[in-house]
Amino acid sequence: MVKLSLYIVSFFTVLFSFSLNNDFEFITSKTEFTAGHPIVLQFSTKTNTTPLLYVSNSFGSTLIIADKNNTVLSYKMPLDIASRAGIINWTLLTKTEQLQGKIKVLPKQSVENIQTYLGPPSIAAGGTDYSMLVAIPTDVYDNPLADNTKVAVTYQFRDQQTVDTIIVNNGISHKTIYSPLKTGRILSSSSCLGFNSKEYTINVMPGPPVNFNIAYKRHHDYADGNQITTFSTSIVKDVYGNTVSDGTYVEFFIKTSKQNIIKTSGTTINGIAVAKMKHPDHANSWSVQAFIEGMAESNRVELEYKSVISNFNIRLSNNNREIAIGPLKSFMGQIIPDGLEVTFFVYSKAKLIATQRKNSIEGYARFKLNPDQFPKGNYTIIVKTAGITKSLEHVVL
Amino acid sequence: MTRINRNILRGVLVLSYIIIIAVVVLGVGRIFSYLNTGADRSTMLHTEIKKIDQYLPKLEWAPLKNEGRLMDVETLKSIEADYLDAWYVKHVAYKTNTTQGVDDYYTESARKSIYDILDKNKAEGIWIDGTTLEHHITLEFFSEDGKLAVIRDRDVLEYKRVYQNEDMLFETKEISTYKAIVLLEDGFWRIRHLIKENNTPYKSEFSSVSNSISNVKGINYYPQATPWDMYGDYFDAQVISKDFKIIKDAGLNSIRIFVPYKDFGKANIKTEKLEKLKTVLDMAQNNQLKVVVTLFDFYGDYEVLNWTLNQHHAIKIVTSLKNHKALLAWDIKNEPNLDFESRGKIKVMAWLEHMIAVVKSSDSKHPVTIGWSNAESAGLLNEAVDVVSFHYYEHLKGLEHAYSTLKENNPDKTIVLTEYGLSSNKGVWNLLGNSEEDQANYHKEAQALFAKNNIQSLSWTLYDFSKIPKEVVGRLPWRKQTQGCFGFINQNGETKPAFKYMSREIN
Repeated sequence: MVKLSLYIVSFFTVLFSFSLNNDFEFITSKTEFTAGHPIVLQFSTKTNTTPLLYVSNSFGSTLIIADKNNTVLSYKMPLDIASRAGIINWTLLTKTEQLQGKIKVLPKQSVENIQTYLGPPSIAAGGTDYSMLVAIPTDVYDNPLADNTKVAVTYQFRDQQTVDTIIVNNGISHKTIYSPLKTGRILSSSSCLGFNSKEYTINVMPGPPVNFNIAYKRHHDYADGNQITTFSTSIVKDVYGNTVSDGTYVEFFIKTSKQNIIKTSGTTINGIAVAKMKHPDHANSWSVQAFIEGMAESNRVELEYKSVISNFNIRLSNNNREIAIGPLKSFMGQIIPDGLEVTFFVYSKAKLIATQRKNSIEGYARFKLNPDQFPKGNYTIIVKTAGITKSLEHVVL
Repeated sequence: MTRINRNILRGVLVLSYIIIIAVVVLGVGRIFSYLNTGADRSTMLHTEIKKIDQYLPKLEWAPLKNEGRLMDVETLKSIEADYLDAWYVKHVAYKTNTTQGVDDYYTESARKSIYDILDKNKAEGIWIDGTTLEHHITLEFFSEDGKLAVIRDRDVLEYKRVYQNEDMLFETKEISTYKAIVLLEDGFWRIRHLIKENNTPYKSEFSSVSNSISNVKGINYYPQATPWDMYGDYFDAQVISKDFKIIKDAGLNSIRIFVPYKDFGKANIKTEKLEKLKTVLDMAQNNQLKVVVTLFDFYGDYEVLNWTLNQHHAIKIVTSLKNHKALLAWDIKNEPNLDFESRGKIKVMAWLEHMIAVVKSSDSKHPVTIGWSNAESAGLLNEAVDVVSFHYYEHLKGLEHAYSTLKENNPDKTIVLTEYGLSSNKGVWNLLGNSEEDQANYHKEAQALFAKNNIQSLSWTLYDFSKIPKEVVGRLPWRKQTQGCFGFINQNGETKPAFKYMSREIN
């Protein structure tokens, strides 16, 4: 039965190739060639004409001139065409009843190169993320090997080495490589018919961080507006205990006793992110929590800051037009470092007419009341600094 | 003697003076009118999109069932665009034997395969004018990193004309299946491997359509005010409706109208134009008139590389009108045989044959014809068309013979005379032209011939026109005047004597 159908098939092939043309006859019996082998299509002819042969392969078409030997016309395909895998269809350009047919060029089953495409090049640890290795073994003429050719993919992570066999389908072979639980590098390569590819690397990066702790460090607990409190995280890790990548951005949210939010931030180095914040300049309590946005958060820590200044003097001079506030003294009685903010309000008949802000210099903040701005009259002056408010009623200018 | 000479000299001087002044005035006038044509203000913002369609073969994606990563629409579109561009640059490369653009769409190793064949072709003077007309693409594989895809392009319909130096040696239509491995490089989806997996010769087969036409008595129609510009700014449905009523009342049952290719937006059909065309068909329907729609009016390029644009245009129009009750038939092109000389018969014929296939593949109901300009050409492509149609402007005494010869040669086909008429062009430019009475006699005689031989016909045309675009008959005033006087109704809206013979039934 099989034999019979084979006969039928060849009968039809013959019909197809030998359409009715009395002058020319296609005499090449071979219809499959291996890439790179010389392909010569032959026709026997009774006439003296030597028609051109039109050939068209995967990449283009051209015409071939015959080599005539007595009654046989030989058309030799140029190597550029004979070496490309795929169908070559041809037509003999006779005046009437053009013969046409097709031959098949198969890729050479030996590997000259394995084109490897590996991506994405870095994946997250944890077994859910993956990368894909696409290997296209090609022959010496750059044709992808035939489908069903076996390709071995080898990949190694730490001490473990895995070999998988995949097959070429649609000209390519591919293998999905899932990430291990630990960070590191997966080295991979492929081999086909005794040819080995180069080494390719996948970086296994830590997965998303999980919740972490924060701690703080400060020199004293006074709200001097000068010293710095340092916040730091514990080593931030993913769910499998891999330290997160350097540069992971951690944002610290500080909520003050007045429910204002102050932010500071840092990026991790070896899993630890450090961020700094200047002490407040008046008694305050901070509640701090850190976030890695969208992924993880820390515990909440509470900090108290004590006031450094319990009292200060206001001295008026020059017809009350010069006001000196100070000396501003810190917790040990020392002059407070420069830069403490002092705010100065001037009221006239219960109406605020001027506000000035100055930073302390050598323990003092000095204000001047200009006669152009403040004509003679009765004023109330209020001074605020370090959370303390003092007022002077009925200041006569 | 001297006096005469002096007078001649004087005359020549005066005459040349007048000519110089005329030229100067004309030149200044031209410059002045040029300076008055201002730029469109919207161009100041450079907001217009520069993309032009140059290659639009029919393309279908099979439902996505690929291996690997899930495909998204944006990537699919960009693969499609680059894949088609790759075909386009390849066609251009093989036509011109240059490599421009090839490196953008083929990787370094793949382009070598093209360059090798190009070098051979260039050396031997071989060049190939080709295009692909249909693609049916399946996405087989898309890599996880989104940078490699395998597509299989089934039943690619390719058309090629192979030339050696100036001689066309071979024309072929092939159906091939290709597999392409494409890589995303520098923002381009480049072809890395291309493998022809199958190939069969294409055999044009034109199946006949379900509708037939009979008893056509009609007229070619353009509105009086806007001939050859029917769908422009002055489109007036009421005027058209009124005209259709005149045609209906004159005892006719069909009209033939024209769809200008460029005016309708070439490949990107302008919706408003298409709506106007539909309105025309609606009006015809209201007046119980059937419509022969003539495509590709004012198109004369036929370049193989533009076929995809042409077919895109045709498919859009055909699919949007094919279910309209007023539609009678498709006329692929008006008088294409007049382009044989300037464009080459092979080019025009191949184009026509393909466009017939395109229209038929979109509409299997309505007959297709080509409005040949004379009876001699009407036998061309008679296997492909459903209705053989021709135009006849010669002396009526030859009509009977021409018709019967056609009938004899095309026994299975309906034959329709889609244009005939006589211009009552007697006037300043045509002193020896025909008078309105001559025209009336012509139509009377024609109607008698039609009745005798049972000829289906559409006359040219309802109105006399005053504005004839130069694309129709050129710039010469006597030609324009002739073209303007074919109507049954003159420029003042009065019926001419021939009006009585618009159809047999009018009396």
